[in-house]
Amino acid sequence: MDALSSLAGGFAIALQPLNLSLAFGGVLVGTLVGMLPGVGPINAIAILLPVIFVTGLPPESALILLAGIYYGSQYGCSISSILLNVPGESSSLMTALDGYAMTREGRSGPALATAAIASFVGGTLSIFALVLLAPLLSQWAIDFGPAEYFALVVFAFTALSTLSGTSAVKGLASTAFGLWLATVGLDPQSAVPRYTFGQIQLLDGMDFVVVTIGLFAVSEVLQLLEEGPVGKTGRLAYGRVLMSMRELRETTATMLRASGLGFVIGTLPGAGSTIASFLAYTAEQRIAGRTGRFGYGDIRGVAAPEAANNAAATGAMIPMLTLGVPGGGTTAVMLGALLGLGITPGPLLIQEEPDLFWGLAASMYVGNVFLLVLNLPLVGVFVRALALPRWFLMPAVTALAFVSVYAVNGTALDLVLMTVFGVVGWGMRKLEFPLAPVVLGLVLGPLMEKNLRRSLALSGGDWGVLFDSPIAIALWVLALASLAAPVVIRRMTTPPTPEGS
Amino acid sequence: MSWTDRIPGAVLIAVGALIGLEATGFDVAFLTDPVGPKALPLVAAVGLVLAGAQQARRPFVGMRWPERATLVRMGLGSAALIVYGLALPWLGFLLSTTAVVAALSHLFGAAPKRSVPAALALTVALWIVFVRVLALPLPVGDLWMR
Repeated sequence: MDALSSLAGGFAIALQPLNLSLAFGGVLVGTLVGMLPGVGPINAIAILLPVIFVTGLPPESALILLAGIYYGSQYGCSISSILLNVPGESSSLMTALDGYAMTREGRSGPALATAAIASFVGGTLSIFALVLLAPLLSQWAIDFGPAEYFALVVFAFTALSTLSGTSAVKGLASTAFGLWLATVGLDPQSAVPRYTFGQIQLLDGMDFVVVTIGLFAVSEVLQLLEEGPVGKTGRLAYGRVLMSMRELRETTATMLRASGLGFVIGTLPGAGSTIASFLAYTAEQRIAGRTGRFGYGDIRGVAAPEAANNAAATGAMIPMLTLGVPGGGTTAVMLGALLGLGITPGPLLIQEEPDLFWGLAASMYVGNVFLLVLNLPLVGVFVRALALPRWFLMPAVTALAFVSVYAVNGTALDLVLMTVFGVVGWGMRKLEFPLAPVVLGLVLGPLMEKNLRRSLALSGGDWGVLFDSPIAIALWVLALASLAAPVVIRRMTTPPTPEGS
Repeated sequence: MSWTDRIPGAVLIAVGALIGLEATGFDVAFLTDPVGPKALPLVAAVGLVLAGAQQARRPFVGMRWPERATLVRMGLGSAALIVYGLALPWLGFLLSTTAVVAALSHLFGAAPKRSVPAALALTVALWIVFVRVLALPLPVGDLWMR
């Protein structure tokens, strides 16, 4: 029970007054920001990240704050999906189906309570699994050499490219764009400037906060400008945020199944919360059969995707923390955040920085508890903030993003670049190019390049070294298989139509 | 389908080609590894060209351009953000942030008599949070410092 005693040590860190209040504040702010229309976890983290960087918190405290924001913003997304039918991110699309249907039936209170409780169940169970599995995986990954890492990064790219959008070709184009952005700046090994166009600020490379906020947040503002001034405010009645014992009994099995499914899918690169919530929803729809009212306000239709996406969000932390290789957009942003704080995740993280790892694991529990005790009573406040008009909310978010980036780097060039990325991001959305692979390419590009060059240097230029070990070969096979995955997934997720199949 | 549907694919090919062309010039006198600084840019360039070729061969036809008035609104929104970036060090935080928030609110359809007070209130709130609570300096404005 080595893991449990380490976890106890983690709780000692997470329960320090400073860290406790940071977890609380993170969950609160994350919920408020994540609730805004069109603002999902990626945006919420990216917008608040510059502030975290400069507050000078010790790394474990900063990480705890970050985790709080992550969980909070995810729940914030669920609030706006249920009440307004505007999911902030694709992982809450399924929640909106039955959640909004329940709102129209006047049952938004139970829907919000179900979302909170299902998220809590999914989150807590999967943190337990994370605590048990992460040390094992990092033990195993300690033998990874540069060739294995290179193959692993390629696998992450192919998986996300094929699974995140409408077509694999577009996903690969987005990844290539992100890889190119990663090469901007001084090459760390030879000190050759690449694509800097004579701009001194670009020698340090593309700031990933600038790219992320531009691509996600600024492009969102442009998209909303395109939709025009008519914002959807809708009815915001929510009633008592409670679920009855009968509803709890009805959904318990669903929550447990969806948590397990979500966790497993979350650990796979590329799949992540969106696919986890889709699969959990359709699986429950099939299990319910004719007794279900899925699509018309079935409470299990809220419980399943919420438990699954929270479990997947935690599962996705495993490859990010133990291998240093995130599998999706949100964890890519988390990795960027960690690197910005001077932490390099990888197999050695648990051994070398046990305080950080176990403190984070414990604070995930704490964050989930806060989420539950905070959201049930405070939903009224959140709902009132949601009722603010769009003409105020969107400019306010934009100003917050710009000011936080400027306050940190202090260069006007960043703000101009951010706007340019916003326009590019808007065009990509229009043409249905996925945005998450760009961030993954940008964050993993340096790792990919370093390991490619290192393995070729070791082998004296023999490319065969990349396919030399069983692990590397297995990863290449997985990468090839992931190119075929969309066909399989599509077959499994086709009937999210509102009818028990 | 018209020829304009092939523009995105063509743009991808062109961008990929430019990136690849530029990468061939990344020469170093002493290589510490067999591939050098060219490798990753070339991977990205090849990826973009291949994806662009596929895109041009089977273009995406669902794209719908916004109307002229909408494009103007979006153009003004982007312009406001760029002007804000350039004006911030010069005009200072309070004035330029109030102006840009009011401008964006206006583009979202708010009347000036509501958007300007709201923008001012938000700006002051941000200033308090950043400067007073977080102790992060925000530009006062070179114009007023002379």
